Amino acid sequence: MFNQFGSTAETLSKASAAVLRIGTDAHLYDDPEDVNIAPLLDSKFESEKCEALKRLLALIAQGFDVSNFFPQVVKNVASQSSEVKKLVYLYLLHYAEKRPNEALLSINYFQKDLGDPNPLVRAWALRTMAGIRLHVIAPLALSAVGKCARDPAVYVRKCAANALPKLHDLRLEEHAPAIEELVGILLNDHSPGVVGAAAAAFTSICPNNFSLIGKNYKKLCQILPDVEEWGQILLIGTLLRYVVARHGLVRESLMLSLHGLESNGFYEKDGLVGDKKDGDKSDSFDANLVSLVSKCYIEGPDEYLSLSNGVDTVAASFDSKETTSVGDNEDVKILLQCTSPLLWSNNSAVVLAAAGVQWIMAPLEDVKKIVKPLLFLLRSSTASKYVVLCNILVFAKAVPSLFAPHFEDFFICSSDAYQVKAHKLEMLSLIATTSSISSILREFEDYIKDPDRRFAADTVAAIGLCAKRLPEIPTACLNGLLALVRQESFAGDLELVDGEAGVLVQAVMSIQTIIERDPLSHEKVIVQLFRCLDSVKVAAARATIIWMVGVYCSLGHIIPRMLTTITKYLAWSFKSEASETKLQILNTAAKVLISAEVEDFQMLKKIVLYVLELGECDLNYDVRDRTRFLKKMLSYKLACHEPTEDSVASQENIAEHVVEYVFGRKLKPFSPLNLHNRFYLPGSLSQIVLHAAPGYEPLPKPCSFVVEEHDQLSDSGRQREAMSGLNGSQESSETVDEDGSSEYDSESYNGSDFSSDGDERNDANDAADPLIQFSDIAVSTDQEELRSKRALDLWLDEESSTSNQTPSALDRNQSSYAKISIGDIGSRVKPKSYTLLDPGNGNGVKIDYTFLSEVSTVSPLHVCVEVLFQNSSTEPIVEVSLEDEEAMNVSDSAEQTLVGKANASYNNVPTLIPMEELSCLEPGQSAKRLIQVRFHHHLLPMRLSLHYNGKKVPVKLRPDLGYLVKPFSITIEEFLSTESRLPGMFEYTRRCTFTDHIKDTRMENGKDKFLTICESITLKVLSNSNLHLVSVDLPVASTLEDATGLRLRFSSKILSSEIPLLITITVQGKCTEDLNLTVKINCEETVFGLNLLNRIANFMVETSSSAI
Amino acid sequence: MLQCIFLLSDSGEVMLEKQLTGHRVDRSICAWFWDQADSFKSLPVIASPTHYLFQIVRDGITFLACTQVEMPPLMAIEFLCRVADVLSDYLGGLNEDLVKDNFIIVYELLDEMIDNGFPLTTEPNILREMIAPPNLVSKMLSVVTGNASNVSDTLPSGAGSCVPWRPTDPKYSSNEVYVDLVEEMDAIVNRDGELVKCEIYGEVQMSSQLTGFPDLTLSFANPSVLEDMRFHPCVRFRPWESHQVLSFVPPDGQFKLMSYRVKKLKNTPLYVKPQITSDSGTCRVSVLVGIRSDPGKTIESITLSFQLPHCVSSADLSSNHGTVTILSNKTCTWTIGRIPSDKTPCLSGTLALETGLERLHVYPTFKVGFKIMGIALSGLRIEKLDLKTIPPRLYKGFRAQTRAGEFDVRL
Repeated sequence: MFNQFGSTAETLSKASAAVLRIGTDAHLYDDPEDVNIAPLLDSKFESEKCEALKRLLALIAQGFDVSNFFPQVVKNVASQSSEVKKLVYLYLLHYAEKRPNEALLSINYFQKDLGDPNPLVRAWALRTMAGIRLHVIAPLALSAVGKCARDPAVYVRKCAANALPKLHDLRLEEHAPAIEELVGILLNDHSPGVVGAAAAAFTSICPNNFSLIGKNYKKLCQILPDVEEWGQILLIGTLLRYVVARHGLVRESLMLSLHGLESNGFYEKDGLVGDKKDGDKSDSFDANLVSLVSKCYIEGPDEYLSLSNGVDTVAASFDSKETTSVGDNEDVKILLQCTSPLLWSNNSAVVLAAAGVQWIMAPLEDVKKIVKPLLFLLRSSTASKYVVLCNILVFAKAVPSLFAPHFEDFFICSSDAYQVKAHKLEMLSLIATTSSISSILREFEDYIKDPDRRFAADTVAAIGLCAKRLPEIPTACLNGLLALVRQESFAGDLELVDGEAGVLVQAVMSIQTIIERDPLSHEKVIVQLFRCLDSVKVAAARATIIWMVGVYCSLGHIIPRMLTTITKYLAWSFKSEASETKLQILNTAAKVLISAEVEDFQMLKKIVLYVLELGECDLNYDVRDRTRFLKKMLSYKLACHEPTEDSVASQENIAEHVVEYVFGRKLKPFSPLNLHNRFYLPGSLSQIVLHAAPGYEPLPKPCSFVVEEHDQLSDSGRQREAMSGLNGSQESSETVDEDGSSEYDSESYNGSDFSSDGDERNDANDAADPLIQFSDIAVSTDQEELRSKRALDLWLDEESSTSNQTPSALDRNQSSYAKISIGDIGSRVKPKSYTLLDPGNGNGVKIDYTFLSEVSTVSPLHVCVEVLFQNSSTEPIVEVSLEDEEAMNVSDSAEQTLVGKANASYNNVPTLIPMEELSCLEPGQSAKRLIQVRFHHHLLPMRLSLHYNGKKVPVKLRPDLGYLVKPFSITIEEFLSTESRLPGMFEYTRRCTFTDHIKDTRMENGKDKFLTICESITLKVLSNSNLHLVSVDLPVASTLEDATGLRLRFSSKILSSEIPLLITITVQGKCTEDLNLTVKINCEETVFGLNLLNRIANFMVETSSSAI
Repeated sequence: MLQCIFLLSDSGEVMLEKQLTGHRVDRSICAWFWDQADSFKSLPVIASPTHYLFQIVRDGITFLACTQVEMPPLMAIEFLCRVADVLSDYLGGLNEDLVKDNFIIVYELLDEMIDNGFPLTTEPNILREMIAPPNLVSKMLSVVTGNASNVSDTLPSGAGSCVPWRPTDPKYSSNEVYVDLVEEMDAIVNRDGELVKCEIYGEVQMSSQLTGFPDLTLSFANPSVLEDMRFHPCVRFRPWESHQVLSFVPPDGQFKLMSYRVKKLKNTPLYVKPQITSDSGTCRVSVLVGIRSDPGKTIESITLSFQLPHCVSSADLSSNHGTVTILSNKTCTWTIGRIPSDKTPCLSGTLALETGLERLHVYPTFKVGFKIMGIALSGLRIEKLDLKTIPPRLYKGFRAQTRAGEFDVRL
């Protein structure tokens, strides 16, 4: 086969290069359009479809718009091949938003895939369905996510968690509570993988809904080390925010250290500060800065800086109520404990997040444990190195002593990127101490000779900063810098090398910063610098030196004597200077003249006049303006002959003051605090870009989250149980229950977490006194196992095993329930009536209508409606009739077809079987008539026209979903087996509350409460819909009051399609309080099912007065 | 969360775009990015007018991710690094052609690794089970049959178990576990020839092929030398905290168990003595390399590379051992190999400075490379590797090697 490859070495190498590309998709990427893609997509071979899709992807990769293939691609979503499926999904996600109508075509396939036994297929379907971002399908997607959130496969649940932000992103307000509820459910998952994804969803959906975290805070902390790294990053942040919101900051922490120091001197007493660093106490950390940092974390720097304009308010202390202590707060302690091992994580982001928690929450003495892990991060990729350094810089600014012993880690490698080098330099200059400065300076000397001159310039600047921070070392620095200036000015002669100028400027500036601290003792340095003036050619550096001449012109003994010479030199060189330097010369000349001694005054005056004259004729208008300004100001000086001569006029006096004020002022010490003091939370994007990125939120206000009383109670109660363990059957069963609900069991699959409670209680208490007669009891030992198996079978939809398994499982399942039958409920059912026409619009005719449960005699598609006519006017009304508006127009043709096809299909039956005409309706009289209607759509109203008194009024008859079904009489066994065949996407649940029974129970004291509840629920359901009550299961509850576990089942068939539709209502709550109902519908017709579910949930909530 | 990932070739061409959320990012952002000045462009985190960009560059390929909202930047960067690792593992390297030739695999991988901007499956072992890496057999198969799917139909058993890094029940006829200590030496020798900093960055790399659900314990003879460490997620924290023992259920196949750092080493195995004198426009260079402290094993593949300063116009360098190459970007590499027993390798020659320059005032830094097999210079020793349940036919193996990391000798 390969003999063509064998001949010579040359062909072999060619061939091997070819082989490398054979089988890859290279040709597809290079020429995606060399064949016609469209026919390939319609091919019946999977491989050709695959190739076509790959070509499309290649085009997408190269930035072409290939959305015109959308319809053809969507068809292929039905493919069985996983590769084709995957490629179709990739394509769909890219274009769905652009082509919403075509994308809708794919929904049914997703629905089908969501019920697939293969978890991977389910997960893909869910991901794609949630990702195509169509508002229309948001409800479907949401219920799909809800379903998948209870999937047995961890991977699917994880994808469900990831899908939540996609739905949230559609900004559908009405779904927000449901989404948040799902986040809560997923956060409570027992699998760490799911919790991680749920934490991500929480962060992007409802980062401030702390009640969700509060519920399982401890569990989240415990599960944290097992969560996947990406989830850890976000979960750590979430937990931190929760603790701050719940308990406030920690008193012993660095954030409040200033407060602590001031209030009670706690730290000095314990010597904690003293241990930490090798310098003196004031050096250990900058208290103002630390407190600024903590303020920024809580308020956000932008708000903070806009509010307060300086350091003064920084010291405002936190309310002591808003703080807590590690010692007595369990939550803080757990948070610190569970995040500290994460400092060893392999993922830099996790380490940084964990370090952030310790930084903010840990007691002062524990903060140092973040140092080594952070430093270790510097040995990762260049990009992460940069981000880590940015964060370390903030830490070091606040507490330089933390990093001071580790200065060697910030020495620069030749392979570091420029930004990393710059940050390392800043770091070194921040943390240099008297003990380390000599090593650091020696390193700096090396850096100055680095070929990267920009870096060398930065190094020179860093030397200046070091010298400024450590007053002991300037002499050494200054000599070095001066040498550098001399050398640079020599090398800079030719200005051959780029960036050389920068080094020189930095050197002069650094010298200036050092001198500034104590000019008098550095007089000689200044003099030397002046001497270099001639050799320094770089304008900026010259300008700085000349500026120094002006500032220090009256300093010490040597400089005043040099002044005349220097000024002469400046005047001489003025013509050849850059305008930047010229401006400085002008300023300096003015300053010199003002402070001139008597003996030099005449001389200086002449020079200054000369300079001013030159300046007036300069090409640069800035220089000219400056000259004129100075000339005017100095006019009084220039006019007089002696510097001390008293000015005569008061006006001149003022000028003198102005001049004094402008030029004679001492330099203001320049505070670096106002620069770079935008602090954002460690590890955040905002800290890197130094502005608040959209979505950035500072820490929540301390103690802003108050847990409601009962939550706390139940929390503590739960703890007690967990501790007391096996103290009694009741409590142990509760504990089991807790575990059970986190495990994936059949009950939660059924969509009602709550029912499991009832179940468990049954198990534990089935020896308790029965309150209701029930048919049979069996102690079930292996019930749990069987049930969980059944749940899986349901999911996997394996017919064979279901049929084997189900009966026994069901028997067991039923065993601890008592069945009751509610007699004679039918007579009490009172269907709801709607208004078709109110007397106001109908000249006194009032028409109400009520849906009847009777089955139509005409066709199974028709619904019987009873119409009640009332005449509330004073005159009789004649010839009242209702007719179909549309049928009237086309009645002829309709009749023809009816005759022609004769019952071929129900479609040909007229939509309205009209009523007999009411010949006359006397005032006050009422009459009932029966009409039969076939609705075109289960949501759209039917247009009818009402005739009376010879007039025609259009009316709308709205369908009631509850009556578009008909009772379907089946046994409970049939019900359950049908239900088991409709899992997954065919099942929907909703919760609602129910209150009708309260009134009933109050009124009928003697009657059993359970029975009353059952009756009122049944009544309510049957009054609003046409269903068959299959069974009512009563839990064997421990208490009289608890109705939890009560379950009613109804069955029906959809009128139009004869598809069975099963409804299960599960009750939770106390008999005398509001009940929480979970309504579940199993139906193949998903859209109808969902709508009916909503309808049921709506009418269950309504309180009706006619319930009795 | 991340909104989009672009893969850019070294000429700035967008090779691939993968939109992650509904908020689409136009690819014009790449053009904007590419047009920025170098110093700005090389920032890992960039605030562009419309988006925040995260980038890493790996083997000439720029991985660019965009977001518009606050998110941990390190998360994005680490994720991009993970993507780069996985891709180069799948494609056997990374370059423009490889990415283009295998763009389908890249798409499939990206789709699996990130969902809605949040990382989904990043464990390489699991990914391998979901999407088969291209290999010769599959390529041939696809040529012959024209149909070979590399997407797995089934969900890997490990995805979503409580040990997501491990397939649930792998079976091997022979059980093997190998532990490698791979160390890198970071050292800085300053211009005075003084060793400023010398430390070891090491990794414990393992390769395990064990049946079932093995529980391993690895202990060191001298864990106290370790300065810092970072662990694979499989390592349990408790046993390490209490008695410095690594207890873990290993992933299947190759993985990095932990990385560590040992600081304040006293000596480097090699010495490099550079000398440079410059006068009247020419510089004389001589560099001597020799063994300072014999590690007891052969020091192999010694190289020395440095960047000639910009002001050098031409260079004439030769050596008495090994080869010297000077690339057009003025990178000079001296490949020595092993140190001969009879002489000391010496690089010597002259550099001509650009006209007008008398003397050299900037000096290059020499980067040293070497490799020593069979020894861990940090002195870290593995004591034993225990399995809780010993499978039949178990082979254990230990190896060590040290190579140069950031070994800088300044001139």
